[in-house]
Amino acid sequence: MLFLPAGSQDQIGQKLNNKAKITRVFRDVVCRRDYKAIETPVIEYAQTFTNPHVGMDLSTLLKWFDYEGQIEVLRPDWTTAIARALINQPPTQKKWFYQGSIFRNDKNGIESRQAGIEIIRSSQCLGEMESLLTAVDYLKALQIDDYLIELGHTGIFEYLIQPLELNRVEEEALRTAMHDKQTDVVERIVKEKGNGQVAKELVNLIQAYGDKEVLQKYRSDWQNQTVLVEIIDLLDYLYTSLETMGANVIVDLGRVKQLPYYSGAMFRGYLKATGQICFSGGRYDKLYAQFDTDISAVGLAFDIDVLANVISPDPAKKRICLIASPETHVQAEQMRQQLEDIQVDIQYQIPAQHNYDQIIDLTKEVNES
Amino acid sequence: MKPVVALTKGRLEKQFLQYFESLGYDIKPLQDKGRKLRVQTDQFAFIFAKGPDVSTYVQYGIADLGIVGGDILAEFQPDVYDLFPLPFGKCRMAVATEQGKVWPAQKKTIASKYTGITKEFFKNKGESVDIIKLEGSVELAPILGLADGIVDIVETGTTLKENGLVIDEEFMRFSARLIANRSSLKLKRQELAQIIEDLKQRGGQGE
Repeated sequence: MLFLPAGSQDQIGQKLNNKAKITRVFRDVVCRRDYKAIETPVIEYAQTFTNPHVGMDLSTLLKWFDYEGQIEVLRPDWTTAIARALINQPPTQKKWFYQGSIFRNDKNGIESRQAGIEIIRSSQCLGEMESLLTAVDYLKALQIDDYLIELGHTGIFEYLIQPLELNRVEEEALRTAMHDKQTDVVERIVKEKGNGQVAKELVNLIQAYGDKEVLQKYRSDWQNQTVLVEIIDLLDYLYTSLETMGANVIVDLGRVKQLPYYSGAMFRGYLKATGQICFSGGRYDKLYAQFDTDISAVGLAFDIDVLANVISPDPAKKRICLIASPETHVQAEQMRQQLEDIQVDIQYQIPAQHNYDQIIDLTKEVNES
Repeated sequence: MKPVVALTKGRLEKQFLQYFESLGYDIKPLQDKGRKLRVQTDQFAFIFAKGPDVSTYVQYGIADLGIVGGDILAEFQPDVYDLFPLPFGKCRMAVATEQGKVWPAQKKTIASKYTGITKEFFKNKGESVDIIKLEGSVELAPILGLADGIVDIVETGTTLKENGLVIDEEFMRFSARLIANRSSLKLKRQELAQIIEDLKQRGGQGE
């Protein structure tokens, strides 16, 4: 008996058909929006993902040593791999799409399948809008309408903590507490730095999630802080635009980045029925700094496995079985090619068990003629 | 659908019910549940599980909220919102050993249910140790010679004392905490707002 490792699974049946539909529709949508395909290798050097600009944890990667002693990994992230690849591409093409697996051992299932977009050299607003509207367009094409898009921004937390002058360890601890919405820990860390006002602001920020009223409240609260008002204006613009396109939207102003290269708007889509996250992304202008270049970037990735669980399968096609013989097999094949939009099987005898909609016995027709 | 709240069975469950009642909620269906592991009230569906499983049910969205010990969160680090402490279930994490025990000059052996916390604690001290995982009654380990000491939660210290152990060092303090599923907090924000606000009344005072 041969077994599968924990987290690995065979793909079969309707879910596999759904995945094929998801990738096909994705390709149709993004090609129509003028994206160009890119694919990077499954095997990369660990350093691509663990360097300080990217900051992934080596312990979460599937890795081994190559013959020179370098650590190689199975691709854990598309965005970083694509940044490495695009640095050598001519600057004319700005919009790229990809489809394929990523591998991490801190996620359920180790292998997860993604389809995503990367937009480089795109100004603030244009890039965010194109990313989010691609998501709306794609989910509409999949006939998924019961979802919620959440908007956040890295700049709010980073602006508010500036007066604290935290070292790297302190900042990371505070960021983790914000990520977990640990009210008491956030308050304690900031109060230890002697700033009760910032402590109060951050504790309030933890609960600053909801609909447009949240944006209105904070625009008023922060009216004298230009940096924060500009962020609210951007989020408000994105919020209104998405609503106009028929999407349900919320904001979470207390959201913080989880990877160091994020540097602006962050977004993710929840499926309301299951609570699962079907896409996530944002702006990451700092990602390309590792290549000593100043290239802006924004994008998002869809979780194909999550989408495959909720889309409606394509209507089943009629299934016909042609019963042929070695003498009539070519005739059967010619007939098959004329039967458009029908699933056609060829057999030499009627199977004992079958679920064809129709059986045409060509051997009888030959005998009868 | 009613919001689902996962409760840690046993001592924390009793303390939570007392607290919940003090906030004006009707706890009768929860008190009269017998051996049932799922109970519906007018407002909520409650499920009862062991601490680590409470955090798992919340992480996977089976439960929207959970009441669980801070020690469990520190040990298993589930991917949930860890909102705030509740004013019960207070305890502390400690290293303990036999009265009069002299620690070995070389690498120590520590028995614990909390292998993650133990590993992190000694790593932060810059000390290598061997850790033996036990499921309970860890006080036995030094007495029977399985380990040089233990890392475990301490409430009153009575169990340690009755087994001839003394605290060598205390290093973390916990209380029960309210946790939330990351999606539920956003998608069911209206349904959850009131209970979260109510539980916060005297929350934030834990350690």
